Amino acid sequence: MNRTNALLKKTAWSVFTIIFVIILNFFLFRVLPGDPARAGIRDPRLKKEAVEMLRVRFGLDKPVINCFESLNPIKVGSCAINPLDTQFFIYVRNLMQGELGISYHTNRPVADILAERLWNTVLLIGAGQILSIVIGVAFGIFAAWKARTSVDYAAVTTSLIAWSLPTFWLGIILLFWGSANGFPLAGKATPGMSSMPLLQQWGDIARHMFLPTLTYTIVYMGEYTLIMRSSLMDVLSEDYILTAKAKGLSTFQILKDHALKNAMLPLVTVIAINLGFTVAGAIQIEAVFSWPGLGSAIYEAVVRRDFPVLQGAFLLIAVAVILANLIADLTYNYLDPRVQTE
Amino acid sequence: MSKDDFLVVRGLKKFFDVGRPSLFSRRSRYLHAVDGVNFTLRHSEVIALVGESGCGKSTLALLLMGLEDPTEGTITYEGRNITHLNDHERKDVRRKIQMVFQDPYESLNPTQTIEDIITEPLIVHGFANNANREERVKKALEDAGLKPADVYLKRYPHELSGGQRQRVVIAAALVLEPEIILADEPVSMLDVSIRAEIINLLAELRITRQIAVIFITHDLGSVGFFADRVAVMYLGRIVEIGTMLEVLENPQHPYTKALISVIPVPNPRLRHERIILQGETPNPIDIPTGCRFHPRCPVALTACNVSDPPFVAQSKTHQTACLLLVK
Amino acid sequence: MESTTQPPEPQNQWMARFLEFWQTFKKNRNGLIGLGMLAFILLLAIFAPVIAPYDSSSTTSAGLSDIYNPPSAQHWFGTDDAGQDVFSNFIFGARISLTVGFFAAFISIIIGGVFGLVAGFFGGRWENFIMRFTDIFLVIPDLPLMVVIVALTKPSLLNIIFVIGLLGWTTTARVVRSQTLAVKSRKFVLRARAIGAGKGHIVIHHILPLVMPILVVQAVLVVSLAILNESALSFIGLGDPTALSWGQMLNYAFGRGAMSTGAWWALVVPGFGIVWVVLGLTLLGQGLEKVLNPRLETHHLMPGRLSVQKEAGTSASNKEFLLEVQNLSINYVTEGQAPARAVENVSFALKEGELIGLVGESGCGKTTLMLSLLRLLPAAGQIVNGRVFFNGKDLVTLSDEDLNDIRWSGISIVFQGAMNALNPVRTVGDQIAEAITKHLPAFPKEHLQTRVVELLDLVGIAADHKDNYPHQYSGGMRQRAMIAMALACNPQVIIADEPTTALDVMIQAQILDLLDSLRKKLGLAIVFVTHDLGVVAEICDKVLVMYGGVTAEYADVDVIYNDPKHPYTQELLKAFPDLTKPKKKLSSIPGYPPRLDALPAGCRFAPRCPAAIARCHTEQPALHKITDAHNASCHLIEASQ
Repeated sequence: MNRTNALLKKTAWSVFTIIFVIILNFFLFRVLPGDPARAGIRDPRLKKEAVEMLRVRFGLDKPVINCFESLNPIKVGSCAINPLDTQFFIYVRNLMQGELGISYHTNRPVADILAERLWNTVLLIGAGQILSIVIGVAFGIFAAWKARTSVDYAAVTTSLIAWSLPTFWLGIILLFWGSANGFPLAGKATPGMSSMPLLQQWGDIARHMFLPTLTYTIVYMGEYTLIMRSSLMDVLSEDYILTAKAKGLSTFQILKDHALKNAMLPLVTVIAINLGFTVAGAIQIEAVFSWPGLGSAIYEAVVRRDFPVLQGAFLLIAVAVILANLIADLTYNYLDPRVQTE
Repeated sequence: MSKDDFLVVRGLKKFFDVGRPSLFSRRSRYLHAVDGVNFTLRHSEVIALVGESGCGKSTLALLLMGLEDPTEGTITYEGRNITHLNDHERKDVRRKIQMVFQDPYESLNPTQTIEDIITEPLIVHGFANNANREERVKKALEDAGLKPADVYLKRYPHELSGGQRQRVVIAAALVLEPEIILADEPVSMLDVSIRAEIINLLAELRITRQIAVIFITHDLGSVGFFADRVAVMYLGRIVEIGTMLEVLENPQHPYTKALISVIPVPNPRLRHERIILQGETPNPIDIPTGCRFHPRCPVALTACNVSDPPFVAQSKTHQTACLLLVK
Repeated sequence: MESTTQPPEPQNQWMARFLEFWQTFKKNRNGLIGLGMLAFILLLAIFAPVIAPYDSSSTTSAGLSDIYNPPSAQHWFGTDDAGQDVFSNFIFGARISLTVGFFAAFISIIIGGVFGLVAGFFGGRWENFIMRFTDIFLVIPDLPLMVVIVALTKPSLLNIIFVIGLLGWTTTARVVRSQTLAVKSRKFVLRARAIGAGKGHIVIHHILPLVMPILVVQAVLVVSLAILNESALSFIGLGDPTALSWGQMLNYAFGRGAMSTGAWWALVVPGFGIVWVVLGLTLLGQGLEKVLNPRLETHHLMPGRLSVQKEAGTSASNKEFLLEVQNLSINYVTEGQAPARAVENVSFALKEGELIGLVGESGCGKTTLMLSLLRLLPAAGQIVNGRVFFNGKDLVTLSDEDLNDIRWSGISIVFQGAMNALNPVRTVGDQIAEAITKHLPAFPKEHLQTRVVELLDLVGIAADHKDNYPHQYSGGMRQRAMIAMALACNPQVIIADEPTTALDVMIQAQILDLLDSLRKKLGLAIVFVTHDLGVVAEICDKVLVMYGGVTAEYADVDVIYNDPKHPYTQELLKAFPDLTKPKKKLSSIPGYPPRLDALPAGCRFAPRCPAAIARCHTEQPALHKITDAHNASCHLIEASQ
């Protein structure tokens, strides 16, 4: 099958996965018992009229989906009703319009809350990922090149320790150290900064961003070092490296022209698979540093039992990761000539 | 076909579906690995199947062993049609035909002892609880030349040399007392100085145990002295078949002639004119029209482009498929 | 003959296998450290009631003054936000974190293992469905999903174990599936099917034993991930409030002012526990992987060893020879063992236009010798004596820079055209051009592509293949491309390393013909390394027969075949099939070549030699000159002179 076919198949599969996640997201919140709106509905202290108002407000007066009035507890209903008038289709319809519900806590639209925070997370993850990739790749190359010397052992040991650190704990330690050394304790910007010139604002954001980004970089750099080292060592033991050596090319030339491109290809796949894990890191880091992003939105939503926000944030994150994976997959296909040609 | 023929292969074909060239074409393309093979085998006979890569000899081995299902054709064993049996029905046939593979390093499970390996066929066929199970295992080892057997029973494959491992494979084939051994390039991964050991072993087994041998190889010289007949394969078909001496001394097919001429002879004084064919064996997906050898044939006629040559007999035992021989 | 160590008895076989495993594992420092770390923390957790100074439920004495007390004699690591002893809570917390980690991992491993095994073994629709399902969950970020599910259900320990377990199987499934596929395609599984073994038998006896090691290594990884996940969930506030795991301790400390109070002990200690366990598991996993899945930790760019000269060499080069190898000896050095003498005292010489064959079987040292000529030995290889004169210069002592100049432009190599002898992500034309630009920097850029096409044409490859990748070439074409590349800088000598070994006999004939015609057209000298005596007879002028790292015999080709003096040469010829004498029964040489680290005293061929006398087993024979152009190393020759 040629390239275009492969491309189409992968894209179709990503779309399917997104649909799966949308459906999963809906049913999770209907099947699992925790949603307090519905729990609250059963609270015996509420007056009947209040209960009815809550039900209508959150759309809970409608059947969940055809044939099922509710899913927890399972109550069978009519299969002949208009499917568009069920909670499920209302949910899908809202999604199409960019509506993610209303926050229990602030009564604001979830979509607005998340939109504000989305870019902060992208900024944080983006900076952290780029730094950890650059540093990790550099260390990995160096460690592989100088394999089995003390440089190598030091790089590997440091990477292993970095990988073993729980993200939130590293954040706490750095925050502890940072607070004693003049770094801001929380948030993205000092209050009142928005009236300052742009450059000063950015400087302020950078100071706030330093520790969280440092945390992020340390945790993920270890993994990239180990993988790059392993990948480069595999490449450097291939026959064509010996051929290059026999051709009289210097070590530097061999690394540059023969080894690095081949060694970095697998890294693309790893970065893609890692995206899901880096989101996990973002939740922890944003919680510790009170960084106003999607991760801390999830954290706060958990603390306050604000389920619409939780549901919306999860969906947004999952879709973003799926799309990023697709892009990485397609990039890999484009880069590797062995995949290109029949 | 005579009464002594106990393995008969007729019109055997195996095509592999390699998919459609693009999402929009209707028809699939096929890889014609084996494209119409006929031959027979008698008890205690040794036939060599010779050919280069792409000729289908390995696929043919898998078909004969029942590890692949033929697309067309029949395989008959002692009068019984065994072409499309399922695994259960095929079990007792499997006892009679055993296989020796090319790679002695990959044919043995590194986590099993030699004893486990040789006992396995007995377990699979339900002889595990027989009293003389250990006897049978030891006898198989010794018949394969690994004496004294006790020394080898508890060893692991990585402790043995290549030649010894191949003997273990042969012993595992012998323990069920087969009637046919199918050897697919059994010595090509061994050092030259020990190849003869294995070949001589097979020659001996043919006499002591009356086992017929189908010997697949690309090296004609190694089977010269013990093969009764030779079949030369090209692109899924047998193009020439005859006794060893007939084919070696009087080859008829242009491919056979070329093949024999390029096999190096270890004597510098006998450097001779070689018929070196141009190009490579074509892809078995796009079989040439007419005689499948014609694009590379040094003596092809225009007719060869069009007609598929029939077999022409040069003697009772010697046949060749070449238009040039059709009078 | 072969060593006959007594086989271990049946009852002790498992013990023996475990001991063998332990021997190898012991050598890995990281693995041992990891095992030690884990053992320590496990003991701590198991003996918690005994070791901990305070009972875990001792809240009775907690008052406001007890909160966040710094470390002291009564509280080694101070007190936490509820006035309890941090150290004791840490020890009891170990129990919780470890329990959750292990049980959750157990669930993940079982699910992942079964999914992977079923998908890999049965293939078809099963595989499709399971792997699609796995892919979906692989892509959905796991911590957010865990957060959602635990938030919607109750945060009890059991619940958390299940959630982590039920979401942690994805990588395991993938890994087990690819290993199952790999094992399934190995020849011994095919052999088992050929015998008639059923699916169950194959899974139990063949697939599982070879998938288990991978699963064990993966299990260690999964446990560490489970512990990290539990601690993250607890920190976010989704931990079991009745179970004080390390993550929960951190949740309370962080949320209840440890930072502002400066109570670093409440923050550092629990986190340190997590790091300790995860690091221990990671190191253990690394150690296990080195044993169960060993990979070579060496590559081609590691610095080589400096050559030494064991014997004072005084001879200069003979001007009439283009390439002259004098008394070359090469060892392989391994730590803690005696060096393996791979090549000892080998000499040969080549004039312009000559073709010499280096013949021998596996382990005779011909590949080592060939690599050493251009100093391409692996990191463990070392030239310990001898010289390699090329145009009068000694390549053994040349500086790296000067050697790089001579490589390819003076002497080039044609490796076996295996799939990876050429870089798979660069075009063939590109790789040929690279050689030209390196050694002929003055070569005009505009003519570069024309020259590449010229070279390809010389070896019979059409010009439009210039911009193809190696995987688009057939085996024969790749070999020709390697020859074209070797000719790019007009070398004087080409070393051909088994160039036709993996090829069909017709392609082999094409390549040999090509080499011969190139030799005549360009005046090349060729060193041809092979094990095929027939090929040698076809094209060589001179032959060097090697055995066990030494020269067995060295003479013109006619002499080698028609008047060999060394018993090995004689026996080898007898073992080689000859199509002109089809009915000749082939002989073989009993036994097998010597191991380089266990060389026999005396003549290396003596254990297998039909003509060996007593002296052969104790004294190594010298290289005797039979005529000016014929040497052989055998005591019997001396006797007959």
